[in-house]
Parts: sequence; structure tokens; C-alpha cells
Amino acid sequence: MARTAQEAAQFTALLNKKYRYMDYKWDLVFWVTALPVVAAAADITKLLFAGDWDFWTDWKDRQWWMTITPFAMIIIPSALQYIQWLAWKFPTGCTYTAVGLWVVAWLGRWLQWDVFVNYPLNFVWPATIVPAAIFTDWILLKTRSFVLTSLFGGLAFTFGFWVANYITLAPFLQPVDLMGSTATLADVQGVAYLRSATPEYLRMIEHGTLRSFLEETTLVALFFGATLCTFGYWVGQAIARWLAIWPIMRFMKKF
Amino acid sequence: MATRAAFDERTAPKAGYGPIDWMGGWKTCVWGSLAVVVVAAVHWLYISRYAWTAGIDSSSPEFTKYFRSLVWTQLIVAGAGTGLWWGWLVRTGRQVLTKEVTANEEVRRIAVFWGLISMTSFTLYVMASFWPNQDGSWHQTAIRDTALTPTHIPMFYWWFPLGITMTVGTYLYGRYRLPKVYGPDKGFPWSFFFLIAASVTEMMQVAFNEWAHSLWILEEIFAAPFHWPFVTYGWLASGIFALWAETIIRLLGIEKEVADAAASPARAA
Repeated sequence: MARTAQEAAQFTALLNKKYRYMDYKWDLVFWVTALPVVAAAADITKLLFAGDWDFWTDWKDRQWWMTITPFAMIIIPSALQYIQWLAWKFPTGCTYTAVGLWVVAWLGRWLQWDVFVNYPLNFVWPATIVPAAIFTDWILLKTRSFVLTSLFGGLAFTFGFWVANYITLAPFLQPVDLMGSTATLADVQGVAYLRSATPEYLRMIEHGTLRSFLEETTLVALFFGATLCTFGYWVGQAIARWLAIWPIMRFMKKF
Repeated sequence: MATRAAFDERTAPKAGYGPIDWMGGWKTCVWGSLAVVVVAAVHWLYISRYAWTAGIDSSSPEFTKYFRSLVWTQLIVAGAGTGLWWGWLVRTGRQVLTKEVTANEEVRRIAVFWGLISMTSFTLYVMASFWPNQDGSWHQTAIRDTALTPTHIPMFYWWFPLGITMTVGTYLYGRYRLPKVYGPDKGFPWSFFFLIAASVTEMMQVAFNEWAHSLWILEEIFAAPFHWPFVTYGWLASGIFALWAETIIRLLGIEKEVADAAASPARAA
């Protein structure tokens, strides 16, 4: 927003400036071709820090899933949020990354987990961060502060993550009788579709003592997840500031 | 610079094949990116077709026929292709490095450079998201018998090396074709240092990964701590953003030079 008439005139001149080589194609190529590497960075970060919790319905538990996954999934969106805000004042970085991640995650699950190995998609669907990312971008738009976005955005991202994905998860948490024991539908899927590390693999789900919090388990895990998410936000900020922005036009003279 | 802008007018390219036309400067971006996707699709179809019928036992004759042959084919094609491309870039690059270029030509080269970045971006996606997903699904069902499991073969012996091929090749293109941005006199750019480091650390991490799998656990826990160093790939790849920024700064510089030349026709003459 122009504060003076002189600034307004400068902005108008900039908007109407005629270029010989700069046209829409540079923007189009950048926004389209950056998406694969951004999505890949987001996906590999998620897979390696929280992959198992994202792969299966029976791993989407109350203890680790919403504690670890938001931390792992906010890192690259935060980096893009910094880059796009710095370059264009666009509060879109988290959403841009989230949409890219959504595309590559579903491509992976469909082609590599469903078609290639025949795990059903309703067992291996990936969590979404699109609504959580929109919340976080909106907080940056309103606060115009990375510090406030890390605090309120971390909280919004974690709770947004839980609410958005609980809608998909809820049907798999319905109780069923499994060989005389009460289990969830997700548990039945985990038993029915064998995995190479079973049964040890299954023992990692909710293996702590958080069950003693009874129905507050989810809330406790969410608040701790939000704390970790705020930390993850700053990991992403560090990546953007030091690995993406700092190197611009910097050279090492001796190599 | 001014004389160069004037020279541009006499060497205008054919309509539709200019420096910023899709079939001109952007051709590399369009066809190169498509080629990466097509190769990935062919690879996926091959693995899907033969992994479960010939890829379970690495000591079987079927495995040798369908997968050891694939390893060698990939290594030979990737090795020879990389050597030829890098060699061509250096040999021809030394010839063009000192030659004055027109604004049109420099803009075309920036568009080609962005095309190479695009191919690198797609390659990094395939090597770090598409194949790791298949690797995860395979190990969750078929475990692993050697480092040469069917899902490793495209990933470890084609796409990971291709990441190095693309990042180093893109640098060589910039070093010789865009000397005002990446010329040898400027030193080695930190942007490329991070981007190349991303693909190199990915390749080196594979060695640690297989070694660790042979030592600690055979089954696959994807979020296992010894997998965590793989994320450095994704983070270091952030250097790719600096490449876009550095070349767009040069593009704005060319715009200014052309505008200055047009405003002072006497200087251009």
C-alpha cells in the first residue's frame, strides 16, 4: 500500500512498465516447475520423520500421530511461506506446498501402495495439511509477523491438521468385535493386511502410558504437538533463510 | 551492451521460436520435463510388470535376466550419457565463454537454464518421493534380500545418479553459457553448492542406509532414526530457489541494458 503520492506514482509506473523479455511465462514456469521439488522436499521430510504414522489407518493414533506429524509436515511449508512472503508478499507458501504435497502423496499411495502392492487406498490414504496450511497462511496475512505466525500458526496448524483428518479417520475408529476383543476397524485392517515387521510393528502404536489421561489423551497430545510444530516452523524458516535466500549471488572464491 | 542490443534487431528469430517462445527458449523446459516424466513412467511400468514375478529372489536366473541386466543397462547409459553431456558442455562451453552474445541469445540461455532447473526439479521429485514410496511399500511386504531389490534398482542406480548428472550439468551450463551470472571468475556459487550437495548426500546416504540395514534391523520402519539423514537432501535442495533468483536478477539487468540502449540510439550505433 502506497503511503505517499510519490510512492503511489512509483507503484503505478512499475505496474505499467513495458518489458521486452519479461512476460507471464517466467511466472508460469516458476510456479509450475518449483512444485515438484517443493513437494518432494515436503514428502521426504514427512516420510522420514513421521512416515509410518501417515501410511496406515491403524497408526493414526492418539499419541504419536498428531504429536509428530504436524512437526514433520510444517517444516517445508514454513520455508515456502518465508520465500513467497519475502519475494512477493504473498501469504501463500504453506498452501502452495500443501497442495503439491497432496498431489505427490496421492500419486505415491495410488501407484506405489495400491496398484503396485495392492494395499487398499482406504488403509493407506495420506493425511492432508491443506486446511491447516490455509489457516497458517491466513495468520501470516493478518499478523504480518513470522514470530506470531510461529506461535499461533503452530497451534492452528496442529489443530487444523487433527480436525481436517479426523473427518476421514472417524469411520475407521468405529468399534468392532475381533476374536472376542473390542478393536477399531483400523485395528482390523492392521491385522488383516500383513506387514513385514508385524507383530513388532504393531506394538509401536500407542505404546506409552498416555492412556492414563483417558479422554484427554488427544488434547494433551495436540497441545504438545503444537509446541513441536512451532519448533518445526522455525526449522523451516532456517532452511529458507540460510539455504534458499542467503546463497543468492554469493560465491566461494576458493573451492 | 548497447551495441549488442542493436545487433539483436538484425538477428531476430523466426516467429514462434524466439528466446521466450515455447518452441524457442522454453523448448528445453517443455520437452525435457516431459522426458523425465516419461522415463519415470516407463521405469514404473517395467518394475510393476516384473518385480513380483522375477524380483523376489536375487539368486534366481529370472532376477539376472530382468534385474541385473537392468542395473548394468542403467549404469552404462547413465555413466556414458553423463560423461558425454558434461564433456560436451565443457568442450563447447570453453569456445563460447569469451564470445560476446546478444541480449536475445542471453535471454534464450536463461530460459534454457530454467528448463534444466525444471528437469532437475522433476528428477528430484522422482528420486525423493515417487521411488521412496515404492521402496516403502515393497519393504513392508517383501522385506529385502540384497541392496539389489527391484525397487532399489531404478532409485539407487538411475535416479540418484541422475540427480547428480542434472545438478552438475546445470551448473556447467551456467558456468559457460551464463558467465555474467556464474562465470569462472566469480568463484563457485553457494546456490549450486547446496543443490549439488543435496544430490550427492542422497547418493552417499544410500551406502550408510544399506550398511545400517545389514547391521541393525532387516524390516522397514520408515521413520527409523538412521533414515533421518536422508532429509538433508530435501533441505539442501532449497538452493534451487537461489538459482531462479540469480538468473531473474540478470534478466532484469538485460532489460535495463536494452532499455538504456533504446533510449540512447547514438550510443548503440
